[in-house]
Amino acid sequence: MAGPLEQFEIKPLAELSLGGIDISFTNSALWMVFAAVLVTCFMTLSMRRGALVPGRWQGAAEVMYEFVANMLKDNVGSAGRKYFPFIFTLFMFVMFGNLLGMIPHSFTFTSHIAVNFALALVIFIGVTVIGFMRHGTHYLRMFFPEGAPIATAIILVPIEIISYFSRPFSLAIRLFANMTVGHIMLKVIGGFVGLIGILGVLPFALLTGITVLEFGIAALQAYVFTILTCIYLHDAIHMH
Amino acid sequence: MPQFDIATFSAQIFWLFVIFAVLYVLMSKIALPKVGEVLERRQKTIEDNLGKARALKDETDAAIAKYEAALAEARNAAQADIREASEKAAAEQAKKTEALVKKLSKKTSDAEKAIADAKTEALTGVAEAASEIAREATEKLIGVKVQAKTADKAVSAIVGE
Repeated sequence: MAGPLEQFEIKPLAELSLGGIDISFTNSALWMVFAAVLVTCFMTLSMRRGALVPGRWQGAAEVMYEFVANMLKDNVGSAGRKYFPFIFTLFMFVMFGNLLGMIPHSFTFTSHIAVNFALALVIFIGVTVIGFMRHGTHYLRMFFPEGAPIATAIILVPIEIISYFSRPFSLAIRLFANMTVGHIMLKVIGGFVGLIGILGVLPFALLTGITVLEFGIAALQAYVFTILTCIYLHDAIHMH
Repeated sequence: MPQFDIATFSAQIFWLFVIFAVLYVLMSKIALPKVGEVLERRQKTIEDNLGKARALKDETDAAIAKYEAALAEARNAAQADIREASEKAAAEQAKKTEALVKKLSKKTSDAEKAIADAKTEALTGVAEAASEIAREATEKLIGVKVQAKTADKAVSAIVGE
């Protein structure tokens, strides 16, 4: 019987290295490819006809487009329009990664802190660069809100700096923790089903409920990841 | 926990960047412009159709107004015709009544005249007859021949009373 952590193991499928750095194509990369292919197929094949009155698949693709577009518009405003392709790619990639992880024996690349943190770091650096490009050194005002008494600077500035720099960590760890814990829980409860004979129906029923919940979490965490990115983008563009 | 195995990080992050970048290009260059275009075209079609519908509605409203104006005009004309006809009829009726009244009153007066004539004639006849009878009676009774003139006078004196 496989342990609950075995599902997270990275297994190289093709050993590769570049300048001494390991860049093997792993099961993680394979499922990233699946996610990217599925997203691409979903967004292109369903829009192939580009019908005036959308069918089921086209309607679904349009809903995703408008969902992300509205999220961006509500949180960032019209200045965020040019970041729409990035935000959309981010949302779809993370959501498909989370959902593909729900397939038994698949691999959830979003359950890995390295992947999430790399994404979060790109977002963090990108947002910071956008902030400085739009506001110059005035962007440093982020760390000391306008109108606060100067005496409070000694407390406020460190707090703001810590909160600013903890963004990529909270972004990455939230997704990692949600995905990892959910999958471990499914695995552990699943292990009981076969072990306790006829009474196994109880953990099985529980498992069914948690599976539904996990699907919800898969979509919700992609949404949270994306909306936090939008909020950081808003801060960079409009400051506080 | 496999998540904390640092040896796997470089491979994961490398492929993340490669695949995410490819997906980003596919989305931004192919998929999203197509969706945006379809949505825009739908918006435009809806607006066009709404505009067309609005124009048609205006046209309909104008036609209805025109129709109502024509209807009102026709109603007024009809009412004028009715009024004229009824006035004409009333006038004719009045004329006819007047003529009838005239005719009847003429007949009445003719009849009255005839009656008066007849009465006068009758009275004259009676007087003549009376004077004749009186003369003959006088002659037979007392043998006096009374002249016609005297008898007439006497009769008319009595009748005239």
